[in-house]
Amino acid sequence: MSPARRRRLDLLPYLLISPIALLLLAISVYPALYAIWLAGTDASLLRLARAQFIGLGNFVRLAGDGVFLEGLWRTLRWDMAVVLTELAIALPIALLLNAGFHGRGFLRAAMMVPYITPPAVVALVFCYMVDGNFGILNDLLVRLGILDQYFSFLSDPTASFWVIVSAMVWYGTPLMTLILLAVRQTIPPELYEAAKVDGASPLRMFWHITLPHLVPSMLFLVLLRTIWMSNHVDMIFIMTQGGPGFSNYTEAVYSFKLTTQFEIGYASAVAVTLSILLVAASAFYVRHLARSVLVTK
Amino acid sequence: MSPAARTARWKTIGVYAAAALVLIYSLGPFLWIFIASITPETKTDWGAISGRGVTYFPTQPTLQNYIDLLNKTPFLQYFVNSAIIATGNMFLTLIVASLGAYGFVRFHFAGRGPLLVGMLIAYTIPSVVLLVPLLVIFRSYGLINTHLGMILAEATHSAPFVLLLMINYFSTLPRELDEAAQVDGCSRFGTLWRIIIPLSVPGLVAGGLLAFIMTWNNFLFAFLFTTTNAVKTLPIMMRLFAMGEPAVWSISAAGAVLTTLPVAIIFLLFQRMLMSGLAAGAVKG
Repeated sequence: MSPARRRRLDLLPYLLISPIALLLLAISVYPALYAIWLAGTDASLLRLARAQFIGLGNFVRLAGDGVFLEGLWRTLRWDMAVVLTELAIALPIALLLNAGFHGRGFLRAAMMVPYITPPAVVALVFCYMVDGNFGILNDLLVRLGILDQYFSFLSDPTASFWVIVSAMVWYGTPLMTLILLAVRQTIPPELYEAAKVDGASPLRMFWHITLPHLVPSMLFLVLLRTIWMSNHVDMIFIMTQGGPGFSNYTEAVYSFKLTTQFEIGYASAVAVTLSILLVAASAFYVRHLARSVLVTK
Repeated sequence: MSPAARTARWKTIGVYAAAALVLIYSLGPFLWIFIASITPETKTDWGAISGRGVTYFPTQPTLQNYIDLLNKTPFLQYFVNSAIIATGNMFLTLIVASLGAYGFVRFHFAGRGPLLVGMLIAYTIPSVVLLVPLLVIFRSYGLINTHLGMILAEATHSAPFVLLLMINYFSTLPRELDEAAQVDGCSRFGTLWRIIIPLSVPGLVAGGLLAFIMTWNNFLFAFLFTTTNAVKTLPIMMRLFAMGEPAVWSISAAGAVLTTLPVAIIFLLFQRMLMSGLAAGAVKG
């Protein structure tokens, strides 16, 4: 760019950026600030005009709210169960897909099927798979002699938790597999050749070469999935609405349920508190994204 | 047979056994719902709970469940709504995100860094936080029960996602292209339109289709922001089915298959572009 043109303010970049900036300002930034304000009110959808600012009142209420307090543990339990199971399934599949064999391309495509299935459909499929009358799981378990009679999985607090986790894991595994596979393929083959010459066993090569290369990505995936799973509502809400009882009320589900009951002030307080709890993880994520995007120039 | 050959053979068997397991895991649930969708519904009375047992191989496969789905439920209308909202979101997202990405990649201007970080922060604001304020705002602007409202709500995460994807994509195009075009007399906007956009088709296709799929799959916004059949989308119907309403299992199964079909077709046709887009970016959801 010539010095003459650099001197006056160039409007074109601002013009290019303004549509998305204004859009996000209107539908994300302003609503997020509005949510913080609502968290300080006793607003209900039924009498919105008469909403009053009550300061930290909602947060005081949270501190004594059993559903919220137990929800902290339920959220953590949900996050860990989903994320670690996903990792435990995705890693072996990624390593398998990295091996050369006939039909690998087909398997790679077939492996994506759960991710292609819309989450609401996944929820429906798993609801029916564990159904007490015509579910395949009951049928198989009875045939194998593990169960004496059909069992209503979604009515049991522990069983329903693991059924919902399975549905979520089934949906989420392919993406994790895809990312781990991409990272695995960046490890230089020379490392393995050298190890082979030294007589290293496959297990040792996995432990000393593959794993150390994958660990940074695995940690990052765990962080990322933990953020999204903490905020996840769909699978739990569609399958059991958070039930039976309060057994599957994560904080996100609790906030959503409060919203459907029109208690929007308190619902916002729950959602905002959840975001504050996740702020360190989110900041780390934003920093990671910013580094990848800002450095490209 | 030498020991080495024997080891190699066992290794091959092991690999294929593992592959078979992965195949059963990945395809089993969907295969089962597909089988259910072509199994004749034995139930005659719509009021009662379906009384049939588990069928693994239907002896008389039928398409009757699909016909019933289209005739007896508003499935088609929900399907059209989903398609309108997802397509609308795709175009809105592509336009604002590619303009913005070009601005961020090719220009240095005051406030570039903070603006970009602002976009990233907007990307990480979770839907749970946005639900309530958007509900209130949409009610006061008459956007509840409109396709436009749904398109806008979904853009809260598809727009920043596609922006990131396009920033990554544009960054791979050499700057000399722009300079050569401008030497040849292209305006700066013309450079974007005539040079950059045509070269970015794979990136645009990936971004647009991922935005389409995100919107197609969305449940939360649709659940809160729609109350009439004129705007409700397929995930809402899937929830009704999951709650056993109507309690005709084979018809629900047919609905599940048809709801998945558009996404499956998109993946079949554009697998390579989508896979690279997915592996490159970190997806929300």
